[in-house]
Amino acid sequence: MSHVLSWIIWLPVGVAVLLAFFPRTAVTPIKTMGLFGSLATFAISLTILSGFQDGIAGFQLVESHAWIPEWGIRYALGVDGISLWLVLLTTLLTPVVLLSSWNGIHKHPKEYVISFLIMEAAMIGVFLATDLLLFYVFFELTLLPMYLVIGVWGGANRIYAAIKFFLFTVTGSLLMLLAIIDLGFLQYHRTGIPDFALRHLYQLALPMHTQAILFGAFALAFAIKVPIFPLHTWLPDAHVEAPTGGSIILAGVMLKMGTYGYIRFCLPLFPDAATKYSRLFIVLAVIGVIYGALVAWVQPDMKKLVAYSSVSHLGFVVLGIFAFNQASIEGSILQMVNHGLSTGALFLLVGVIYERRHTRQLADYGGIAQTMPLYATLFVIAMLSSVGLPGLNGFVGEFLILAGTFQTHPAAAVIAASGVIFAAIYLLWLVQSVFFGPVTKEENRLIPDIAWNEIAALVPLVLFMVWIGVHPNTFLNKMTPSVQEVINKVQSGGERGQMMLTENAARRLLAASGVKPAASPATGAGR
Amino acid sequence: MMTLHPLIEAGWVNAILPELILSIGGLFLILFSAFLPRLRGATAPLALIVFIIAALSERMVVGGTFFGGTYELSAITRIFDITFFLAAMLATLFAREYLEREQIESGEFYALLMWATVGMMMMAKGLDLLIVILGLELLSICIFVLVGYHRRIAISNEASLKYFLMGAFATGFILYGTALFYGATRSTNFAAMGKVFATADPSDPLLTIAFVMLVSGLGFKLAVAPFHGWAPDVYQGAPSPVSGWLSVAPKAATLIALIRLFAAMTPLLEHGVWLKMIAALSILSMIVGNAVAIAQRDLKRMLAYSGIAHVGYMLIALLAVGEEGVAAIAVYTITYALMNIGAFGVVSMLAKNQNDPQTLDDVAGLGFRHPFFGLALTVCMFSLSGLPPTAGFIAKFFIFKTAIDSGHIAVAIIGILTSIVSVYYYLRVVYYLYMKEAPEGTAVPMHGIFATAALAISMLGIFLIGIFPTPLFERAGAAARAMLH
Repeated sequence: MSHVLSWIIWLPVGVAVLLAFFPRTAVTPIKTMGLFGSLATFAISLTILSGFQDGIAGFQLVESHAWIPEWGIRYALGVDGISLWLVLLTTLLTPVVLLSSWNGIHKHPKEYVISFLIMEAAMIGVFLATDLLLFYVFFELTLLPMYLVIGVWGGANRIYAAIKFFLFTVTGSLLMLLAIIDLGFLQYHRTGIPDFALRHLYQLALPMHTQAILFGAFALAFAIKVPIFPLHTWLPDAHVEAPTGGSIILAGVMLKMGTYGYIRFCLPLFPDAATKYSRLFIVLAVIGVIYGALVAWVQPDMKKLVAYSSVSHLGFVVLGIFAFNQASIEGSILQMVNHGLSTGALFLLVGVIYERRHTRQLADYGGIAQTMPLYATLFVIAMLSSVGLPGLNGFVGEFLILAGTFQTHPAAAVIAASGVIFAAIYLLWLVQSVFFGPVTKEENRLIPDIAWNEIAALVPLVLFMVWIGVHPNTFLNKMTPSVQEVINKVQSGGERGQMMLTENAARRLLAASGVKPAASPATGAGR
Repeated sequence: MMTLHPLIEAGWVNAILPELILSIGGLFLILFSAFLPRLRGATAPLALIVFIIAALSERMVVGGTFFGGTYELSAITRIFDITFFLAAMLATLFAREYLEREQIESGEFYALLMWATVGMMMMAKGLDLLIVILGLELLSICIFVLVGYHRRIAISNEASLKYFLMGAFATGFILYGTALFYGATRSTNFAAMGKVFATADPSDPLLTIAFVMLVSGLGFKLAVAPFHGWAPDVYQGAPSPVSGWLSVAPKAATLIALIRLFAAMTPLLEHGVWLKMIAALSILSMIVGNAVAIAQRDLKRMLAYSGIAHVGYMLIALLAVGEEGVAAIAVYTITYALMNIGAFGVVSMLAKNQNDPQTLDDVAGLGFRHPFFGLALTVCMFSLSGLPPTAGFIAKFFIFKTAIDSGHIAVAIIGILTSIVSVYYYLRVVYYLYMKEAPEGTAVPMHGIFATAALAISMLGIFLIGIFPTPLFERAGAAARAMLH
């Protein structure tokens, strides 16, 4: 299929537009249509794999059309080893969400389905855009549907959470917009052609001080999105108040837009600045790992516990990215997918029991394994995947990150490794207090076990958890060349930075000795 | 044809053909509704037809300068004319059902709208400060009546009086500034003034005082801080369709006049304090407008303060004296017409006592009570806050791009930071639309074909410019180039 990338962006939009004309009362047709639309999108997205060639670092299956030629903005899409699995994760999780909330959404189901389809399209667009401005447009477009999902279908304190989510993200992204415009301006002055194409912008060799400012703007936007400690405060609110489907997409895909942004934009565009400030991010990542785990440990609310575990897990991902080596970055990308699968599953499972008992307090449960055996089994699998049990996906990602980080920042790797132990403690604690022991509350005896649609939603997730855990090379092989290229860019940038430093030092020496230095060749495009 | 006066050359009909159509059309409508009161319902459609004919006649006129070099027809005036027509037609569409509901419909309303449009067209086309002032006065007199059109309602009368008093002061300032400019340059013609400016001393106090006077007067019309005091009261009191139109069209007309003054002053601007003064006005407007809008619960007052902020954004483009800036302002005003009149239009469809404030509570749950209005207001709010894929994003992007390209980075950063603030109060409207249950006694939205059509046009335009801005850019860019060379 040609234009497969455009298809998976615009098919959900098309279905959403069709749904807008459905009568409000036709609930089942709306849900069916939405589910089949998202399933078709998933099926089409699988054909990317057949067109995707291993061993190529750059963008594949590219599409490029002029969009706003006056400003050099193109509708340019492409997929590479970094974005491939994230796109598939998005197309997988959307039908999972629609299926799992088949019976759970009673209020305005039409708008609910439409929101998720639009959100899916925007998120796929974020991962596929190879034009900086197109990326920005999709990045912003994800906000409105998620705002509505939290604000309309969320819990008691949903309004506060929704507005906080929106304002945090928009603050970062608007500053990033300014940086994007500035990058375009610099590129225009270098080549005389207005241009926002990513692969051209990669060739901008910016002087350090410019890089630092622009890197700051980009990094802030992504740090809020990930979120990196101490900008994480919106996350627990948003997660706890969002409906189950919203939490799954938020944790599963949206947070990855931040970490993806670091790999795609921050590292290759501003290699010197990224190298210079990598230490800061590593420290913050390690703090996030430990802090998230400790806070998760003391949560009495299951959903909040899983939400804080996200802060911890995403800390690992950021750590791997800023350790700048092949294993750690590949581990980070894989861990993004892993986190989407396992945390998505955990949120789904918490939602299942919340729907039945309308409480998420650990204290309200106990011995559920006896009344809901099937549910307990699935929960334990998802939990073990999140903990990082060998044989399941989480282990591979965390191991690669820690092994890679250990080569460059051994201390950080050692401290972060304790986060794995904490994860085992708080998740096992969760499982123990909810599922095992005697049934403490009478009302818990009669909870119906997990339903068909929820099982159908969970099975593919579990399948992938095992697949990644047992044979990660299926997934890693495809990302290797692209990751290699990112690392090359960072290192060559870093070396150039070193050269500039030595050159400056030499000049200072010459100046001190009274010799007039010859005009040195320009080391970067100045303003 | 016999010669009437040396200034009236052959082809004068061509020069003012759309203006003539509108002026005569307005007279016709007054007579129509006076003699055929039973057919009152037909006045709005007739008014629309007149506007459409006038807009089509734009295609027949030939560009050039007329009346002794005081009146210009060119690509840029055509773009601004289109903006004025668009604003007036949207206002007409919203007014139809509003005026009927309030039982104040008659031909004068549409006639005044037409004559005001003629005034704005004169401001946009005038190459001489006196023509601009003539147009401004015609515009202002029509606005005094339009604002007070709801004559049985106290706040409407109050608004009219406030605008009248303020407007009289502003006119005084403008005339005084013009007189001083005349004293300094011996001309009121922009081209002749430009010649004198080319060799003038930038520290000449006479020029500075004249500039301050003129900009203060025009600043009143633009509702730019610190000359914005009247705007919230007037917008709140005026009939909602008028408020929407008033918040857009006169500002566009004033901006193009200001652009002409700036183009004439270009040789001076680099040296003088004038650009700094405009930057200060822009920054102040963005901060005051966005900060105070947060505190507003009345939708019309909120939109008034947001309008102050938007003028601040537009002034940023004025700082970048050049083609880009002019094109950016042209794009911004068209976009602003679509989104702001649309927002006021939804407010106008809330049926309740017009003496009471139209608060956020009145749109609570509207997204599910009346999905189309809810969607339209959401789209307008997102466009106003400048989020993609709406026209508001494209327009704002253009503004900030010109700011960065011309080196006004600090102003751009303040603009972005205040935009973040603005997201909060625009988003709050969406929150009321979809996440709040309607309390007892909430205003019931009316159904209306005309308003629905107007909102459909608004939304279509917002998405069209937001997704395919190229045709507009090409026209605006070419027009700006032609204007400045």
